[in-house]
Amino acid sequence: MTEAPILSVSGLTKSFRGRRAVDDVYLDVYKGEVIALIGPSGCGKSTLLRCMTWLEQPDDGFITIEGQPFGRERRGNVIVHQSRRTVDALRPKVGLVFQQLNLWPHLTVLENVVRAQTVVLRRSRHEAIARADGLFATLGLSAKADAFPYTLSGGQRQRVAIARALAMDPIVMLFDEPTSALDPELVGDVLSLLRQLASSGVTMIVVTHEVGFAISVADRIAVMDHGKIIEDGPKTQVLDNPSSERGARYLAHFARTTSYDIAREEPV
Amino acid sequence: MAFQLAYLWSVLPKLVAASLINLQLALLIALIALVAATLLTIVRVMKIRAINMSINLVISLVRGTPLLIQIFICYYVLPSIGLDLSPIQAGVLAISINSTIFIAETMRGSLQTIDPGQIEAATALGLARGPIWHRVILPQLFRQILPMLVNEMTVIVKGTALLSVITVIDVLRTAQQIASASFRPFETLIGAAIVFLFINTVFIVLGSALEHRLAGRGA
Amino acid sequence: MAFDPHLIVEYAPLLGEGLWMTLRIVVAAFIVGYALGLIVALVSLLPGRLPRAGVALYGTILRGVPFIIVLFCVYYGLPFAGIRLPAFVVGTLALAIFNSAYYAEIIRAAIVALPRGQFESARAVGMSPAQAMWHIIGPQILRSLVPPSTNMTLTMIKESSVLSSITVGELTYQGLVMQGNTYAPIECFVAVGGIYWGVCAVVSWLSVRLERRVGLAQAAQINRNRLAASFLSFERPRS
Repeated sequence: MTEAPILSVSGLTKSFRGRRAVDDVYLDVYKGEVIALIGPSGCGKSTLLRCMTWLEQPDDGFITIEGQPFGRERRGNVIVHQSRRTVDALRPKVGLVFQQLNLWPHLTVLENVVRAQTVVLRRSRHEAIARADGLFATLGLSAKADAFPYTLSGGQRQRVAIARALAMDPIVMLFDEPTSALDPELVGDVLSLLRQLASSGVTMIVVTHEVGFAISVADRIAVMDHGKIIEDGPKTQVLDNPSSERGARYLAHFARTTSYDIAREEPV
Repeated sequence: MAFQLAYLWSVLPKLVAASLINLQLALLIALIALVAATLLTIVRVMKIRAINMSINLVISLVRGTPLLIQIFICYYVLPSIGLDLSPIQAGVLAISINSTIFIAETMRGSLQTIDPGQIEAATALGLARGPIWHRVILPQLFRQILPMLVNEMTVIVKGTALLSVITVIDVLRTAQQIASASFRPFETLIGAAIVFLFINTVFIVLGSALEHRLAGRGA
Repeated sequence: MAFDPHLIVEYAPLLGEGLWMTLRIVVAAFIVGYALGLIVALVSLLPGRLPRAGVALYGTILRGVPFIIVLFCVYYGLPFAGIRLPAFVVGTLALAIFNSAYYAEIIRAAIVALPRGQFESARAVGMSPAQAMWHIIGPQILRSLVPPSTNMTLTMIKESSVLSSITVGELTYQGLVMQGNTYAPIECFVAVGGIYWGVCAVVSWLSVRLERRVGLAQAAQINRNRLAASFLSFERPRS
């Protein structure tokens, strides 16, 4: 790729109680990419995602968003932590859709999507509502704008969470285990939703332990194990020709147990 | 006038001596209240309508009025209907009634959480009512409400401070007397506060220790 | 000893004034106490062990000392610092400070009971901690603050009677005035006790209605039965 990455992570390390959840990770994300970040439970995928939006402060390493340092910067020989305000200003650019969704139950669906726009981006209410309506149309939520989250189905709530993040006009969308909170029959719906977003040009990183799902959506696959990225490359290359033994074992194991027929790209 | 720590230090021994009254009264009240509350709870379980209704009325009255008023009633009102009590007696009576009610309510709540199956089993095994209470219900009950009893103990201790208002010579009244002679009210009051804090902390620590010991023995 | 209701009628205005003073003091102390409690609660949520320990110490001290002593300390302590205030202000302040520890615990418990994800999702879209508190956390905990707060109100109504000892003209004080004039303790204290009881009953009834209105439909993490029972029984706050 000749362009610069829109999000870049270098040397990122995060430990919890002496254990390295994220271990010296390097990842460059380019515009329009859909990256599937896969690996066994506990390998650090979610932590990496949270570090990317500075919800977890990495112990080491740097993040740049569109070339700008995020969270921590190097000035000469000194490493300086950015002020909370600076970090807060950059955060909306990284849209995180939580595994638990974390919708705000006391606000309507519309308000969930509008509130952050008006409070953080200081858009006028009119503008914010217009943006929300546009997203609802795309995501099929128009009928539910005035409903409260507790009346919605799991799939609908997920779409609200996605709308809330998209409304902030992020440069990249991070999805933390988008299929785990839903019934298995609905996984196909999530799949097509993510495909829809991908085809409209949204840059995405999808963390999932469902390999088959990831493979269907992504054009690039990164495999994590024990906090390190052990595979990272275009989908077909990683699948056909994994560079590490552990990576090969993981992919082979899940290729057998996946509920997806990769060739046909639909549930078996 | 600046705060004089040295003065506080010098006054503490007298305050500690005076606090023995508070401590003794508190222990006496706690004992009375515990016994009375247990009896009250047993009576309530018998579900005699007239008795329970009057008990509920008394509970409502006691919980809906300030402790100070209850103390005043025992001290000022009872003499006019023939019951002449000394300040200490009146005070102990008032706080005892108050605590009995609260402990009884706590017990009632706790009683509802005891598994009725145990009582059935005990009855099936041939135990009479007395032993069922004595061996099955009460031990569990006390273990469950122990934290709340510790809390109630601190409430009782704090309640004894109010008795200074009806001329009982306790820590607070002593502190006030010292203060009026020495013109250093702030230090003496802080001293009294420290004494109460100490007593209550000791009870809380003892309570925790007791809880741990009982927890070790299992359900 | 005959019971003379006429005395009560005669002194009703005086007792009424006392009641009015009591109510005003309780409302003011509620507001100030909550404000103070909010600050203390937010401090206790700061990172590190020191804030939490400091707040725990604050709570332990205030709850281990009788209110009457806290009252006297404030009453005699303020002139020390050169501040002279009317008795009823001092009394209200003392009541507020004394109960602020309970309010802090109520608020803290409500915030901590909220799933962390709520705070995180607010921060993830770029809200500052203050914005997250105001828009997301605050509204959600408001509901759960109602039952303990009404409990506290009942407690403060009863605690306010102690203010009579620093000559604040609330209900108990007026009752003592009445007793001093009439030497009829039965009528006095039955009347005063009855008024307190009535006020507590009304506040209790209102509390139940308020809780119903606030509605526990969506965010109910509260044990309804336990709290309904505690309203109706003028319960003491936990230590």
